[in-house]
Amino acid sequence: MLEEEDSQLYLMLSEPGRVHDMTMAVLKKTLAAGCIPLIITVNQPYKVMVKTNAREDIGQEKFYVVDAVTQYSGGTPTPGPQVRYVTNPSNLTDLGIAITEFLKQMPDAKKCIIFDSVSMLLIHIPTATASKFLHFVVNKLKLSDISGIFLCVEKGLDPVILSQMSAFVDKVVDFESEGK
Amino acid sequence: MASLIKCLISDSPKPADSSGEDIFRSIFEQIQTGIFIVDAKDHIILDANPNAMSLLGRAKGDLLGNSCHEFICPAKCGECPISDFHREVRNTEQIVINSNGEKIPVIKTVARVKIHDKDYLVESFVDIRDQKKSEERKVALIAFMNEAVMRVRKPLELTRQSLQVLADQAKSGDYDAEDIRMELQLHANNIAQMVKTLEDLSEQAVKEQGIKIPEHFTNFCIGK
Repeated sequence: MLEEEDSQLYLMLSEPGRVHDMTMAVLKKTLAAGCIPLIITVNQPYKVMVKTNAREDIGQEKFYVVDAVTQYSGGTPTPGPQVRYVTNPSNLTDLGIAITEFLKQMPDAKKCIIFDSVSMLLIHIPTATASKFLHFVVNKLKLSDISGIFLCVEKGLDPVILSQMSAFVDKVVDFESEGK
Repeated sequence: MASLIKCLISDSPKPADSSGEDIFRSIFEQIQTGIFIVDAKDHIILDANPNAMSLLGRAKGDLLGNSCHEFICPAKCGECPISDFHREVRNTEQIVINSNGEKIPVIKTVARVKIHDKDYLVESFVDIRDQKKSEERKVALIAFMNEAVMRVRKPLELTRQSLQVLADQAKSGDYDAEDIRMELQLHANNIAQMVKTLEDLSEQAVKEQGIKIPEHFTNFCIGK
């Protein structure tokens, strides 16, 4: 995937039962490609993510996180140089600011965004709003020449939104057939 | 109009009589289709039936003697699709604008008739506002259903999967009580949000019934 070309944007789809596998596989591939990932999570609190990744020998120094669920789930944000917290997943303004600031702050090495996940974001905001926000993120990535991988459940997007997203990104990847 | 009807009757195979004219007059006035009789040469409106006047919100006096371009045809003068471009207008969807500036969708047909060597255009149209409203309503309902599936069903499948992962995490011993609590709370909040989304969607569906489709759903439907 990321080895093939630089600064590509992907929409990655999987069955609901394979989403966690997909997230881990994407993180590993990203790191293997020498890319520093910025994970935007609306799915897993940072503290839990650190432990889950540690079980796969991925140290917390290897990735950056914008965490939109710790405060939302009543947890206490643990400050750290590689994490930023947003109050809840529907706070798109703060989410956008956190992404922008982090991308500036991250080392100048090859970096990419992993968005985990578009499907979970739809719990909190209407599909039309999600599409606009993702368009904003995609534009930011394109302007900054940064890769992006948007994770999503297969058939978890309206065909219209999927078609819009497919137009934003360079490639739609089916995890079952290509992502393993 | 009376003379035109007389002409129509006299051209018909049956013998012309005043009862025949009365029948035509009665049909012309009672039919639930708007009809204009237009002079094909200069596009002057010669007659309009009550349905046409009611649709446009104008009196007969406002219409007769004026050009059809001013009232019932979007084409400019000299660009008549029938007499200038020789096109056929048959059951085509068009818009007419009434006296309040309201755009009314109609199905329009224009027939060319020749009576005593003089050409007339018989323009007839049917108001399809109710049909349009019902189509929009159908699109909106499909959008409501799509939105509910995307924002509730798929996330529920993901939540079920995440709870399975959480069960495995709890068993592994790698995660402390606060980790498990946070994740459980996250899923509880997500499910509450999904319930709220469903309530909002049905509330909007009920509130908007038969009135107006919410703008964001229209945008969603047409992919803006």
